[in-house]
Amino acid sequence: MVEKVRTVKDVCCPFCGTLCDDLEIDVDLKTDVVVEVRNGCQIGTKKYFSSNPSDHRYTKPLIKENGEHKEVSWEEALDKAADILVNAQRPLLYGFSSTECEAQSKGVVLAEMLNAILDNTASVCHGPSLLAIQDVGASLATLGEIKNRADTIIFWGSNPVHAHPRHLSRYSDFIRGYFRTDGRNDRYIIVVDPRNTHTAQVADKFIQINPSEDYELIQAIRAVLRGSELDVKEVSGVSIDDIKELVEKLKSSNFGVIFFGMGLTQTSAHHRNIDTAIRLVTELNDYTKFILIPMRGHYNVTGANQVFAWNTGYAYSIDFSRGYPRYNPGEFSSVDLLMRDEVDAALIVASDPGSNFPAAAVKNLFKHPLIAIEPHKTPTSAFADVVLPAAIAGIECEGTAYRMDTVPLRLRKVKDAPGECLSDKEILERLIEKVKEKLGE
Amino acid sequence: MSLNNLILLTGRTISQGVALEGGKASRENVRAAGICTFDADDFKKLDCLVGTPVKVITDYGEVVVYSTITEEGPHPGIIFIPMGPWANQLVNPSSQACGTPQYKGMKSKVEVVKNGKVLGAIELIGRLKEA
Repeated sequence: MVEKVRTVKDVCCPFCGTLCDDLEIDVDLKTDVVVEVRNGCQIGTKKYFSSNPSDHRYTKPLIKENGEHKEVSWEEALDKAADILVNAQRPLLYGFSSTECEAQSKGVVLAEMLNAILDNTASVCHGPSLLAIQDVGASLATLGEIKNRADTIIFWGSNPVHAHPRHLSRYSDFIRGYFRTDGRNDRYIIVVDPRNTHTAQVADKFIQINPSEDYELIQAIRAVLRGSELDVKEVSGVSIDDIKELVEKLKSSNFGVIFFGMGLTQTSAHHRNIDTAIRLVTELNDYTKFILIPMRGHYNVTGANQVFAWNTGYAYSIDFSRGYPRYNPGEFSSVDLLMRDEVDAALIVASDPGSNFPAAAVKNLFKHPLIAIEPHKTPTSAFADVVLPAAIAGIECEGTAYRMDTVPLRLRKVKDAPGECLSDKEILERLIEKVKEKLGE
Repeated sequence: MSLNNLILLTGRTISQGVALEGGKASRENVRAAGICTFDADDFKKLDCLVGTPVKVITDYGEVVVYSTITEEGPHPGIIFIPMGPWANQLVNPSSQACGTPQYKGMKSKVEVVKNGKVLGAIELIGRLKEA
């Protein structure tokens, strides 16, 4: 029998921070399109299929002329992009979390050359977690440790059934581990959330909390843990009896972990929530082993933080306007800059702020020239002045990505990119050369 | 019919994840993220059928989305819109100087607009370009 497909095994999925590394992809030998994905979740599988040529996949560089995108050569598109960046007073380089580390490091080089702002998507998601970890440190572990040892798992303000679909089956819930030989039966799962999420529906204990009152509940848990009597009947909608029961459960566990998500970082208390959660974990270590892990969203946002940090000293919200890196979330973070209308040109790499920033910030982003390095049509790229079509990292080019627990894994190439697409790294390298020419370096 | 004093939460859903990978300009994306889910009892007060367009209004903006009943309830007083272009018309852009806007916990009200049009992602965001 003649083989019609080739199978690539042990593929790392470039969707969420869980970075599952056991996918198997079948690629049609004749047409070089993905025909089957095994082991992936619904979203990861869709990402592989959507890499196939379609009406929303870019295959050639585009420039906007009279309101319409026009196909041009790479030379022309890069020249226009470099012109925009070199002529800007305060360019913003944003995104980077859905591409590989080598491309991210090229972003740092370009930002420094342009005296630009350099930011990644942590800015609008786990930025507060980074702030808190910088303030008070954190007890962390790898997901392998959790799989093998953890018997008490808390999901606080995160809903992995929807956002990290295979997290529960690979690391934190159903999986059997070295000391957790009976898998799910050996673990006690607690979910803290304002909604009875699908994760809560498979948990042992669901604690329904009032929205945006996480800080108060964590402080109450800390107080009860220290032996204080609280003279109220409930905190944040949770009864004192429930809090006492929870504290006993946490103290009596062998190895506990708090996975926390946007429910803590995107509510009004932001990093103060994480500060106090970290302190709770520190105090629980007086009784037993406890750690916490942020549930990172984009598959390589952790990598973006790592690469930016080892190159500049800072993980996100970096300003090069004085020729050296400065860090100040709130001042140099993308949304705050856009709200003050300080940015006069933007280069967006593997991200869609048009969809994901608050409307008022998007309005200001669209006032100025916009360049998108992007494989698909998105509400950002559709309004970009220059679109540079990218190969998708982890599908059409290799690279390195960091899992949510900061373990680096190698991404595989399973097929060629359609049309004239280039990898993010190559696009940025060619853009750097163009910018150098224009700056006379 | 309308409802006041609701709290708006936004966040990921698996359909929204699948839709954004499958094509942001698609109608699938509208069905996945251009929706507002209500607690079952709250929804009864709206006196409309599932799928009827509703206008959600916060201090920061307004948007028309399809209404539906939550599978993740009960959560009286809370409405949920999956993260994306529709939710982001309503969120609080202020980060209180920490960099991250407040995407969850906005006070909101909802009005049924039976003839309301739920725009696609590109059209919705395009209005910000023209404005």
